[in-house]
Amino acid sequence: MAFVEKVMRVGATKPNPFTICIVANPALEAPWKSGIVIPDPIMGQLAAFQAAATYIDSALFGLLPGQKEVLLADPAILPFIRVLSLYDDGLSPALANALVGQDSSSFLLVARRNVFVAFLSRYEIQADVVYAVSASVSHTRASAWCTTDDDAGDGIPFMVDFGQLFHRFNCTIPGTVGIHATACSLTALHEFGHAVSSYSNGSIVDLYVDSNPALNNKLGRPIPAGFATYNATPFASDGARDGIGYPSDWRSYHCELVDSSRPAVMDDYYQSTTGPEACLHDQITKRFIRDRLLAKINRP
Amino acid sequence: MQPLKPEQRRAILENSPQAQPADIDEYERLLSLRFAEDPDQEPAAAPDHTAQERALVGSQEEREARLKQLHAKLFGASENKKAKTAAAHG
Repeated sequence: MAFVEKVMRVGATKPNPFTICIVANPALEAPWKSGIVIPDPIMGQLAAFQAAATYIDSALFGLLPGQKEVLLADPAILPFIRVLSLYDDGLSPALANALVGQDSSSFLLVARRNVFVAFLSRYEIQADVVYAVSASVSHTRASAWCTTDDDAGDGIPFMVDFGQLFHRFNCTIPGTVGIHATACSLTALHEFGHAVSSYSNGSIVDLYVDSNPALNNKLGRPIPAGFATYNATPFASDGARDGIGYPSDWRSYHCELVDSSRPAVMDDYYQSTTGPEACLHDQITKRFIRDRLLAKINRP
Repeated sequence: MQPLKPEQRRAILENSPQAQPADIDEYERLLSLRFAEDPDQEPAAAPDHTAQERALVGSQEEREARLKQLHAKLFGASENKKAKTAAAHG
């Protein structure tokens, strides 16, 4: 049996640094929501887990070969983020240890978000975003739930078109990701975009489907020139979904890209003609994630 | 949610002749929508969704039922093929 807890990045020297935790998933609920639990094949594969953890860290901090999106490598952010990895193959395959479920309607790995806080508390870990790494033999596609903020607590207020929201300092349920040990390219970064966003204070949704309104997505035709005003800064719309184009039956439209020749990170990065790693976040997503991270990094 | 790779999209259409590109689009949209809403809250808690927009996408139960239908349509043939291959290799 092995128990390995590794500090991959120390982060800020304070009691509650912004923390990303990468966990080897002890057990799978298969199928998801069935109550049936099986051991996750990642148990017994410490080297594969550590390789996955290194990949996730690299994707987050802009270290993949050819990666252009380096938002988290900003000197105001990178030194203050704590990254932990956790591997414990001494746990029984019980529901309380099943961090991931296998979706019966897809090949998605789905984080069982409600068990993460109690699971991590056994290791005295409080995290803001958690990746649960699986080596499922049938399900390999990653997914993420946004953070549930602690809206009874403090935060930094900000204004968007639909009113005042807050970059909350703390959460009641961290952003959670179910990801396969073989994940590559921008997948870990894309899922972080969802996971670090908030169900009550601005969510970041997929831009490769005709999504509902969110911080990074709006509905309507014709597409207006202005996308949104965020903290008094106007952001333009991406009128052409540069790099891909909007299907004719869509109502969604997005914010202006930083690099209009490539899809956004939250869009279909596989369609980038210069490789997924060349993709960048759109402008409002980048600003929102940066501000949210800074609020959490500087929380009292 | 991780996007489908182009080769995965092609494989679905090749392996499931009854599947149409529009089926994949609907399937992907409904899957993605699952994660866009807080699963532990009523939809009204979200600040950026209107009642009209929620009505357009149906209830969570309706969407999950439709997802099961689409999954069977898109992957039924390939799953049967995999099962047959596995059985053949016993």
